[in-house]
Amino acid sequence: MKPVLFLLLSFPLLGAVISALVGRYLSRRAVETIACTSVASAFVLALTAFFLSGQTVHSLTLARWFAAGSFQVNLDIYYDPLAAIMALMVTFVSSLVHLYSVGYMRHENDYTRYFCFLNLFVFAMLVIVMAGNLVFLYLGWETVGLCSYALIGFWYEKPEAAHAGTKAFIVTRLGDVAFGIAIALCWTALGQLSVTGIHEGASGLGATMAGIIGFFLLLAAIGKSAQIPLAVWLPDAMAGPTPVSALIHAATMVTAGVYLLMRFFPIIRGSAFLMVVIAVIGVITVCFGAVAALVQQDIKRILAYSTISQVGYMFLALGAGDVAGSMFHLISHAFFKSLLFLGAGCIIQALHEEQNIFRMGGLRHSMPHLFWLFLAGTAALGALPVTAGFFSKDRILLAVFLQPNLFYMLLWSVSVLAAAITPLYAFRLFFVVFYGDSHADTQPTSPAPIPPWMIRVLWPLAVLSVAAGLLNLPVNWFGNEWLVHYLAAVPGAAMELHASHRIETAMQLGSAVITIIMGGIAWIYFGGRTQPEDIFPEIFQTKWRPLFQNGFYLDRFYQSWIIAPYRAMARFLWHRVDTGWVDTGLNQGARFFLNLAEMLRLWTTGRISQYVSMTFTGFALILCSLILAWWVLPI
Amino acid sequence: MNTFPLLGTIVFLPLMGAFGALACRKNDLLCRRLSLAVMLTDLILVLSLFALAPQTADIPGTWLRVEDFSWMASLGVRFTLALDGISLILILLTTGLGAIAVLVSWNEITDHVSPFHFFLLSMMTGVLGVFLAMDVFLFYLFWELQAIPMFFLIGVWGHGNRIYATVKFALFTISGSLVMLLALLGLHLLHAHQSGETTFALHRLMQTSFTQPVELIFFAAFVLAFAIKIPLIPVHTWLPDAHTEAPTAGSVILAGLLLKTGVYALLRIAVPLFPHAAQTLSPLLLVLGLTGMFYAGWIALAQEDLKRLVAYSSISHMGLIVVGLAVWNVTTLSGSILQMINHGITTSALFILIGMLDERLHTRKLSELGGLWKTIPLWSGFFLFFSLASLGLPGLNNFIGEVLILVGTFTQRPGLAAVGFLGLLWTVIYSLRMLRESLWGEAENRPDIADLTRRELTILIPLCLGVFWLGLHPGPTLNIIGTALAGLDVTPELLAHTP
Repeated sequence: MKPVLFLLLSFPLLGAVISALVGRYLSRRAVETIACTSVASAFVLALTAFFLSGQTVHSLTLARWFAAGSFQVNLDIYYDPLAAIMALMVTFVSSLVHLYSVGYMRHENDYTRYFCFLNLFVFAMLVIVMAGNLVFLYLGWETVGLCSYALIGFWYEKPEAAHAGTKAFIVTRLGDVAFGIAIALCWTALGQLSVTGIHEGASGLGATMAGIIGFFLLLAAIGKSAQIPLAVWLPDAMAGPTPVSALIHAATMVTAGVYLLMRFFPIIRGSAFLMVVIAVIGVITVCFGAVAALVQQDIKRILAYSTISQVGYMFLALGAGDVAGSMFHLISHAFFKSLLFLGAGCIIQALHEEQNIFRMGGLRHSMPHLFWLFLAGTAALGALPVTAGFFSKDRILLAVFLQPNLFYMLLWSVSVLAAAITPLYAFRLFFVVFYGDSHADTQPTSPAPIPPWMIRVLWPLAVLSVAAGLLNLPVNWFGNEWLVHYLAAVPGAAMELHASHRIETAMQLGSAVITIIMGGIAWIYFGGRTQPEDIFPEIFQTKWRPLFQNGFYLDRFYQSWIIAPYRAMARFLWHRVDTGWVDTGLNQGARFFLNLAEMLRLWTTGRISQYVSMTFTGFALILCSLILAWWVLPI
Repeated sequence: MNTFPLLGTIVFLPLMGAFGALACRKNDLLCRRLSLAVMLTDLILVLSLFALAPQTADIPGTWLRVEDFSWMASLGVRFTLALDGISLILILLTTGLGAIAVLVSWNEITDHVSPFHFFLLSMMTGVLGVFLAMDVFLFYLFWELQAIPMFFLIGVWGHGNRIYATVKFALFTISGSLVMLLALLGLHLLHAHQSGETTFALHRLMQTSFTQPVELIFFAAFVLAFAIKIPLIPVHTWLPDAHTEAPTAGSVILAGLLLKTGVYALLRIAVPLFPHAAQTLSPLLLVLGLTGMFYAGWIALAQEDLKRLVAYSSISHMGLIVVGLAVWNVTTLSGSILQMINHGITTSALFILIGMLDERLHTRKLSELGGLWKTIPLWSGFFLFFSLASLGLPGLNNFIGEVLILVGTFTQRPGLAAVGFLGLLWTVIYSLRMLRESLWGEAENRPDIADLTRRELTILIPLCLGVFWLGLHPGPTLNIIGTALAGLDVTPELLAHTP
């Protein structure tokens, strides 16, 4: 098993290193081939590991890293079903995105840098997935942040791209600070940094300590997964190339926060209060993202807010204690959201970098294949019956519903409301883009040709978006809940919901009806529209729309209450405090001695007569003092 | 026990080279080559120390090698050099950066080449001596020897406002060392009075007993001298000026070595001599270090001049190192010592890169930069790399030091350590702003400039490898440090205990 896991990690890293070192001397085709092959090999290896290991847990050490005193950190691997399924998903989606990128970036000259960071990202993501201790995990955690920074800012000449990259790095770094504190806390409280050690020690922690460690882990997760209140970086991250948005900012990296909480779930569940906090953050984010997505006009921003919202569901599931349900949604979301992003990439390129959905329309005629693909993704996002999204979201709602705590009932009702908004914005996007008439003024009569394989690589994702529900088909659909059973080896992961079939069926029926109705409403409003305006009541347009569109002004809040004061403080400390008080104070001290010296210099007049008289005065003074000393002191 | 005085050779070889450099006035190239050869030979000698079997047989404690000669017998001054793991990796850094300092001046320094190298090399002797001297008087001589050449390096070969900067540097340094000299003589007399023995040997002086106020005053005097060198707030203001005006080699030596001598002296001299006072005042050092880390990191964000920005970031990093020292356990000390090396490599590299940029564009102002990734991609790649190392990206060197210091601090003072973790955010904010305004964005009507030359790559690649080596495989280095720190759990005195 060890060689397989070692190679699984090494291949993407090797690809990145080769691109970085010799990429500039290789042909374009060679760089692309190396990048795609390394990730595809990783997928094959992940598949091998998955079948080889079954449900066993492998905990092994690849190499020693560093040690000082009793503090020792190694490059450990912890491979269990949770890691296996995640690694499989990451390498699968990454492989497709790499293949897609070959087409998408065909006009880009800086392809070496692109593929280098994309490969490095896959490596770092796999480190997060398989790391056996917190510090090694942190290595992956920070490196995905770096790759995200580099790829958001890929078109660095555009100021907004450079700015968005910086913003993403800084906001997620805030979470990383919390991660660092969590590492130190685990070390101090448990004397352990390994996953196994933490799992074992977690039960011995009191609720308070578990709550504190869990809180810092949660903060880290919030930063990476763009949850409220740190969600601000993700919509801006859309400045990066679209395949990057699909892979990093939808399917994999933003779910790393969720994965972190799953990995250390034994600590999290030690504090019931923390679970409620996680669920509340999840629900708030679900609503925030859904409402904001409803009024965006940029196709990528719609999908970005939708991602924020969907990841919120995963948090909600964790808050309800349902790790398997969270993982189920994570996987189905990875499929349909990367499908939607990659599809959006095709549309954007076909329409010459147009991103406003109200300048698109009627694409079902000109891009018929994409129409069906996009429909599959939209249906899964909107949780239409029998798609993957339907089953995974339903499981989460059911898990929340079944919590004995009444407060969860409140959360459940809010999340059902948000679940009703989801198909609305999903189909709004779909109908506006694919139905209606094409806009002759803004849209070319025939779309620009895009390489056919960019469409072809989407088919597996589309199939999975529809069919991934089979992973965890509920019992009343004659399924056997495979994922739940598979994850049984993960501490705290497998939760039998013990729902009666009546409740389960009623719930599924209910959500099926809601989603279909909301889809219908979307059709009525946006289905046959030719006008490039949103149809909403006047009051909504003026009062609420700006609020939603700007993400509840969260950005502006940070700008004026944190960033601007921080900058002002930097200038204040420099000009007033440092060069002002401190430096001036020290210079004054120096000047004092200078003035003293100037006074002494007045004595050096150059007149011999004065020197002679001064010499005699001094001589007399010394004599006097000697005589005095002789009389007074008993020498 | 004295065989061949290898340590003495290592210390004085640069000084001999310095006179050699002074001798070849006429031929600049010869002078440069000679200096480089001297520094490389010294580097090889230091490397040979790793290979040599340590003379453990008759040396107690953690010492690898001791050389002891009588010198000024009437005053009790001896010529004692001793080497342990901490000194070993620091003199390796010294000789390595010394060679690099010669290389970076190859094209930059064109006037008065031979005196430049005279000062540069004699300064190396000073630094090496500080890292090895075990006689406090000898230590003081080396301490002064490293400062005086820097005065000339900045004053003669510096940029614009160099006279102000160098006078400021000299005044700060001299005031610090004068106070230290007084305390040193006082300590010597007190010891002579107590034991009737005239000596400056560190381990003898350590046996002096004090009343608490006397010990505090002595400790404060030493710490003032060392704090100015580190520099700790509020006596740091000479550093940004000195860095901004210094030639690149000056900045490299300053950031890479001179600041480290302050920390090293605190660790080797001040704390072991006055352990009780150190314990009493450690909260003060801790708070000063932590405050400095945020204060300087914050100011760095507002800087316009790249060199000044990196200078403030240096103060910020040194603050964290002092935190590790103030907490004083095996984990934090390992972290602090490792971080001295890390900071020496990354910050020197950043100063070197900025120097290379300055040679090409004749500006270091962030407002006049931007879009450099397009113009000089190779330079930009290195700049990005070393900035990432400096902001503590895992897998690169600074991360290890930071983790060790912060986690070690957390076990004793969780609240302060948690605040310290927040410092990582301050670092990333100014670093990313620096990257954004220099590398990214549009390059507007920039003249065509050449990317890195082969000589410049020769300088940068070893530093790069050092970053990876210490980031990915710090085990051997930490072992060397750890062996030296082995006796530390028992008592800090052991750290300075020579036979």
